[in-house]
Amino acid sequence: MIEKFKIQDSKVQKANPSFILPLFKGRDGGVIFSSALLLFCSLFILSACSPQKEKVYRKSKVLMDTLITISVVSGSGDKAEKAIDKAFGEIEKLDRLLNFFSDSSELSEINRNAGLKAVAVSPETFEVIEKAIYASGKTNGAFDVTIGSVTTLWDFHKRVKPEDKQIKERLPLVNYKNIILNKKSSSVYLKKSGMLMDLGGAAKGYAADRAVDVLKKQGIKSGLVSIAGDIKAFGLKPDLKPWKVGIRNPHAENKADEIMAAIELTDLAISTSGDYERYFIIEGKRYHHILNPKTGYPAEGCQSVSIIAKDGYVTDAFSTGIFILGTEKGIKLLEEMGLDGIIVDKNGKIHTTSNLRGKLEIIGDSQRRKKTN
Amino acid sequence: MKLSEIRRGEKKLIEGMTLADMLLLAALVIISVSGFIFIKEAFPQGTDVKIEVNGRLAYKLPLSSDAAIAVKGINGDTIVEIKNRKVRIKESPCPNKICVHQGWIDRGAIICLPNRVMVFIEGSEGKENKTIDAITG
Repeated sequence: MIEKFKIQDSKVQKANPSFILPLFKGRDGGVIFSSALLLFCSLFILSACSPQKEKVYRKSKVLMDTLITISVVSGSGDKAEKAIDKAFGEIEKLDRLLNFFSDSSELSEINRNAGLKAVAVSPETFEVIEKAIYASGKTNGAFDVTIGSVTTLWDFHKRVKPEDKQIKERLPLVNYKNIILNKKSSSVYLKKSGMLMDLGGAAKGYAADRAVDVLKKQGIKSGLVSIAGDIKAFGLKPDLKPWKVGIRNPHAENKADEIMAAIELTDLAISTSGDYERYFIIEGKRYHHILNPKTGYPAEGCQSVSIIAKDGYVTDAFSTGIFILGTEKGIKLLEEMGLDGIIVDKNGKIHTTSNLRGKLEIIGDSQRRKKTN
Repeated sequence: MKLSEIRRGEKKLIEGMTLADMLLLAALVIISVSGFIFIKEAFPQGTDVKIEVNGRLAYKLPLSSDAAIAVKGINGDTIVEIKNRKVRIKESPCPNKICVHQGWIDRGAIICLPNRVMVFIEGSEGKENKTIDAITG
């Protein structure tokens, strides 16, 4: 039997002109070759189907009056979903505490008691206000959370532009120095009656920070939290590359031109403030939602400002603050503080802090033409 | 008569195979299967339209087949239309109709915040957007 097999084997080899045959140097060589091939292929299949392969899991939800997307890298869908849901829970909690429009929020309670009494608040509310005041101090009041009383005069959906007189009346109510914090009693007091605090310029970035903390506590090594334009990324993607964030072109000419630049981030946050988010145009003049606390009118000088820093509350507050300061003062302050920023000025030119040179990938055609350096 | 002839033929074929032949056959089968898996992994056909309401997946439809569906949001029905590999929100009960004005898209997403309806086109981003994970601004 065995002899017969041997003979047939050699016959087949001689007769068959297959391209694999030259590799069969005798019968043993063939066996080794085939076994190696078999091993290689089974390894490939195993790696392709392995349940431990890391993947990006993504989930979106509407909270804080905007779209929030959380992405995490995990080897298990269940683990990823659990962590994402916990992070959404944290954001939901912050939304309940800090929502300007909800009567039941702690923020509304502080506002209702302006000029009356101090209100004891949760550590989260206290912390975000403390951080907002820090940003106000650093930007010399260009970022100011007490802008609320002026903001409520404008309506960017219904195209309501207030009278100059109305704005002038409210301006004395805008000053972050009239927020009195008491750390011992964890209480907040607005000195003047009629003052309104609006945390819209810091709460989303802060929420991104807290959501990332929750994900890390759940054992997630890499992820990205995106709350409208406020994004915080940590760790690396499954391909071991950093997360890549696109920066919207403030005045895109067409759909293909929607993104002007991209930057790779890990363990960093980025936020953008732009004059294109909420605005209306009357007699050719653009009125947008980023109001200068000193004048009560939309800040002029920039189309968009993106800030990169370790913390989301910093990027959120400073993107607004730097927008109001304008290009020159803005870049100067960023360099002083060691923060990174990308400013698109009113002519559409891109300015960046020196540290960012070479790290920014310019994408849109129209921006490539306009870039200054 | 015929059946037994075939059986004899089969027997001959198997008897005529060496270990190397069998391994080769197995290897070839594995190569073709793994090739199939590789192609599927490397070139995902991910042109699905995912419709979510309040963060929960409501529908998953192929972009390639035309359809119009009423998606129940928190304020009423949002009509999503798929046609010629493009998607739009045709009607919506929201006040500003930003979603309707966005028109037809062939990549990215349409979000209707008031009605909590989100329409995503998955895995069909343009060349430049392919590696972008999030957009700021």
